[in-house]
Amino acid sequence: MDSNNQNQDNHQQNLKSMVPADESQLDLYTIPISSGWFLWDSIHETERRALKEFFDGSSFTRAPRVYKEYRDFMISKYREDPSRKLTFTEVRKSLVGDVSLLRKVFNLLENWGLINFNVMLSEDDKTAVEGGNSKLRVEEGAPAGVRVVAMPNSLKPLSVPPPPAAGVGVIDYGFRLPHLASYSDVYGDLMKEKELLCGNCKEKCDSSKYYECTKENYKVCGKCFENGKFGENKSVDDFKLNDPAENKGNHGATWTEAETLLLLESVLKHGDDWELVALNVQTKTKHECISRLIELPFGELMLGHRAKFSQGSTTSDATVVQEKLTSGEPQEIIKTEDDCHDQMVDRGQNKEAEDQTPQLKKKRLSLDSDGSMMKQVARISAMVGPRVMAAAADAAVLELCDGNPFVRDIFNVEDDTSANELRPGNLNTDLERAFQPEDSEMMEVPTSSEAGGAPPEKVTIPLSLRMRAGVATALGAAAAHARLLADQEEREIELLMATVIETQLKKLRCKIRHFEDLEIIMDMEHAQIEELKESIIAERMDVLQKIVNGGIPRWRDNTFVKPQTNAQSAMTGDESRSKEQLAAVFEFSKFSTETLLVRKESDVNGNFKKQKKEVKQPRIERKTS
Amino acid sequence: MKSQIPASLRNPVKFRMPTADNLVPIRLDIEIDGQRFKDAFTWNPSDPDSEVVVFAKRTVKDLKLPLAFVTQIAQSIQSQLTEFRSYEGQDMYVGEKIVPIKLDLRVNHTLIRDQFLWDLNNMESDPEEFARTFCTDMGIEDPEVGPAIAFAIREQLYKIAVQNVTSIKEMKISKKARRGPEYASASKSGVAAVDLVKLFGHRSSVIRKRKEWDVYEPIVDILSNEEVEESAVIIA
Repeated sequence: MDSNNQNQDNHQQNLKSMVPADESQLDLYTIPISSGWFLWDSIHETERRALKEFFDGSSFTRAPRVYKEYRDFMISKYREDPSRKLTFTEVRKSLVGDVSLLRKVFNLLENWGLINFNVMLSEDDKTAVEGGNSKLRVEEGAPAGVRVVAMPNSLKPLSVPPPPAAGVGVIDYGFRLPHLASYSDVYGDLMKEKELLCGNCKEKCDSSKYYECTKENYKVCGKCFENGKFGENKSVDDFKLNDPAENKGNHGATWTEAETLLLLESVLKHGDDWELVALNVQTKTKHECISRLIELPFGELMLGHRAKFSQGSTTSDATVVQEKLTSGEPQEIIKTEDDCHDQMVDRGQNKEAEDQTPQLKKKRLSLDSDGSMMKQVARISAMVGPRVMAAAADAAVLELCDGNPFVRDIFNVEDDTSANELRPGNLNTDLERAFQPEDSEMMEVPTSSEAGGAPPEKVTIPLSLRMRAGVATALGAAAAHARLLADQEEREIELLMATVIETQLKKLRCKIRHFEDLEIIMDMEHAQIEELKESIIAERMDVLQKIVNGGIPRWRDNTFVKPQTNAQSAMTGDESRSKEQLAAVFEFSKFSTETLLVRKESDVNGNFKKQKKEVKQPRIERKTS
Repeated sequence: MKSQIPASLRNPVKFRMPTADNLVPIRLDIEIDGQRFKDAFTWNPSDPDSEVVVFAKRTVKDLKLPLAFVTQIAQSIQSQLTEFRSYEGQDMYVGEKIVPIKLDLRVNHTLIRDQFLWDLNNMESDPEEFARTFCTDMGIEDPEVGPAIAFAIREQLYKIAVQNVTSIKEMKISKKARRGPEYASASKSGVAAVDLVKLFGHRSSVIRKRKEWDVYEPIVDILSNEEVEESAVIIA
């Protein structure tokens, strides 16, 4: 996201250099969606409310104009390099004004994410870790949050030692989780309650209930409150109970891995008796336990297990498989999902799942948290090839090693076992074998080690790590599979494109052929018309010939008169030559009629007279000159 | 805008620390038989005075000082508190007054130089918070630096507040408040307040010029052991 933003910034820089005037329109910075009210040109109601002193007109040093200048400067300053955290100390050297007031403006902008938004994430990671460490200190003296209880399930491997105190878990797994943890978890640590000191006995409030004084920032723990020790000048009425069970917003969001583990164990033990579960978890309330369990990716499955598969219909394919397992009948499984992988693999997988039922059922139960995860990994691995899966696993382990040196140690030491654990190949080879019935006993061995997940010597790998490696592997494999599908899709699209283009070409060719046909027809028609024309001309000539032979018709009179008038006008100019001219005109009029006829003209009737005149006149001139 | 009378002028504030918490800076420097005890902290003047002796006793016990220090410490605190209380109840025409605060202090190995503006009229200001931010922003790890900065700010604010009170008292005596308070009275009171009209007027921008940034930039130096000794000699 950062690099993306960087690009945008660069882009914007470019734009800025070209169009320096209007920077607000070119804003491509990321701000949180909640701060959408922000506008460069105006001051929003939110700002007015938060910083009243700028808008009540009490002083001309605190005018809206001044506020806007402060605000705009801070935001611009931050945006010079959005990847860096802008500090208040850095800003205040450039601004004239009361530092307390500047601080207030700065805090407002930071809270709304208008500055230091992108850097927040990394900062929070850091503080989350710090918070984890300080949490350890806090809980050191507290009674152990977790007790080792005899599990009803004696097969449960002690590979997952319940941490004696939640804090120990924090230190073990308290490194950064950014690769696979959701951000809600990361933020969760921030939201946790600060350490509470009783205002009266000055001791840490170990029970999470405390009473808060409404007048001052003064808190009293439940014990002192019940004993009537309120501190000076305070009465019972000043206090109000602050029970984290009620405001779970700031407390309940955080679940350490140890707590989650405890919750899962409790759920396994007590089923859906949430009172008991909450009692066992201790640090969380009933509702938080429930919501946490629902949030967990395999929470549904767990519940399904406990409720003896009472759930009628689930969308999860895995649950369907589970249900079939209990029935124990080797029958075909109705596919509920629109699967993209081919049916053979699916069938093989089911078969394999059926085969392992008797041995694995209990083990899966005991593996509570990562069992279902491993199963999902196995499912995904069945979809993609073994090599892809191995590569994904390698990548996942590598990535985890990058994240933390501890992991590297663990995986280096346990290289073989981890490889074994994460090697999906045997599952897939099993699938191939599954089609040969005689091998069905053999395959149980590798599959159990696969789906069982944790042979005893692997206990040293922390559960969280295994989970993470599993998740990463699954994701990697899924990504690989998705890639495969995408490639296939792409090829298909290419094929379709080719077909389309070919069809288009064909169409064009057809059209061209049509046009050629048309042209030929046109040519033929043209020739016919030419022929027709010639025959008409010949006919006309014939007719005219006949007319001429037959004597001068009536319309010839007109043409005869006209040249005469012309000749007369010419005669008025020159008497001497008039007679000679007249004779010439006579002669010519005869001649011109003939030439006109020879010139094959289409209009026989209308224009005939006129053309005769036009042709005649130059002749007269030539004669006269 | 100038025609508007600021609220603080219409309702003069009674003397107090011009910060959110009315905490008095107390500085101790006591020498008995060649043993010197220096300390600085803040005290809530509304606490009962009996606390002072308790505090002195505990301090002496914690630091394993001779018992003679108890009375000295208690007396010193008491007298400083009394001085503070003597101003209480008097009018403090803070008005429109923004003063420059200059820091120049050495705490253990850390040397700090800084200057910034502080609004005496802003009763929500919090020097401790400011100091904390300063330390995180500048990456100062020494836990003693923050309180020292806050204390230095408080001490200066206290001094300015006292000057305010006394100058107003003098003015009242000499002129019987003939014309009422004005900005000039604030600037006459000793500590040069910044020229607000010049800084915040319509003409000027509240963003400093780039060349001034260095002037207002905080400077933090980490001194070596030898340098610390040197400066200690100079101070002595």
